[in-house]
Amino acid sequence: MLRLHGIVGHETDTSLRAQLHALEHRGAIELLFVPPEEAGRKRFRLISDRGTDCAVSLGRDEELRDGALLHLDRERAIVVRFGRQRLWKLRPADETAALKLGWHAGNLHWRVRFEAGCLVVLIDGPLADYRARLADLLSDGSVTEIAYD
Amino acid sequence: MIEAGKTSATATAARLPAARVGIGGPVGSGKTALVERLIPALAARGVDLAVITNDLVTAEDAERIRRSGLIDPARVSAVEAGACPHTVIREDPTLNIEAADELERRFPGVELILLESGGDNLASTFSRDLTDFWMFVIDVGGGGDIPRKRGPGVVRCDLLVINKTDLAPHVGVDLELMHAQALAVRDGRPVLLTNCRSGEGIDAVVAMLESQVLFRA
Repeated sequence: MLRLHGIVGHETDTSLRAQLHALEHRGAIELLFVPPEEAGRKRFRLISDRGTDCAVSLGRDEELRDGALLHLDRERAIVVRFGRQRLWKLRPADETAALKLGWHAGNLHWRVRFEAGCLVVLIDGPLADYRARLADLLSDGSVTEIAYD
Repeated sequence: MIEAGKTSATATAARLPAARVGIGGPVGSGKTALVERLIPALAARGVDLAVITNDLVTAEDAERIRRSGLIDPARVSAVEAGACPHTVIREDPTLNIEAADELERRFPGVELILLESGGDNLASTFSRDLTDFWMFVIDVGGGGDIPRKRGPGVVRCDLLVINKTDLAPHVGVDLELMHAQALAVRDGRPVLLTNCRSGEGIDAVVAMLESQVLFRA
């Protein structure tokens, strides 16, 4: 187990570029894939793409970002990679439908963004579970699914 | 960063923020009883511990734990939600975050803070801003069909605990089936069985906390 605490930098930091470049040439950069829905965690244990068992904790004021460096020395670097966030884009048919859709999303504590007349839901679980909550609105055409990616 | 090879829990505990573990679940499922079992089990393993309890408008659970003799009463803090219990562990966990910060200030070196939610429903979940890991406690007395109802608490928690296993034959619950259905709705994520009255299953819960939260194994 490699015990890591805190974020030591970011892969785009100019001050670290040369060191990371050298490590990359030696194949010594390990990626730690973190599911997007787990990005808010301050403490987790995951296996890197090279098989390193990483036990990670962050300070309470630290926020994990894609590309965050969790470990850097002469031997290797460990970089965080977020798995792709899945998005479900919905368009309400009219103002009444928009109010209903907004009410459901808020009541269900979904994470959302707003995009040009659409509600974009940041999916944290199976899409079927989300569809089931809006079954009536989807079936009567009040809400249309624009994209799921 | 802590270098590999310098990973003993006791060596790192003084320098690291305490891990925060939430315990949620329906009223009467055995959350406080689980806390009362975890305290001595963790203490026996040398874990420096503190507890926060949440109640609606009283400090009853905190008083119960303070009077238990299991832990220094000063290490037990109470938060009164004043509203639905999930509001202070999910929507606005500020009160609990402040209580945890205060415990860390008063007890430097504390490694683990257990945060017990007030009794709630199957939709209750913890904010990641508040906890590093959270358990959801249900019991066989509530019905063998609870896992099938796929409540967010049951599905999303890091560890589902099915408590009061000894009652299964008395309430007509097929415990093996309930366990299997719980694993199925959670896509195989951890489900542990406990009987907090006898202490059965507690070691497995502690082992999971040591591995996934305290990073001791």
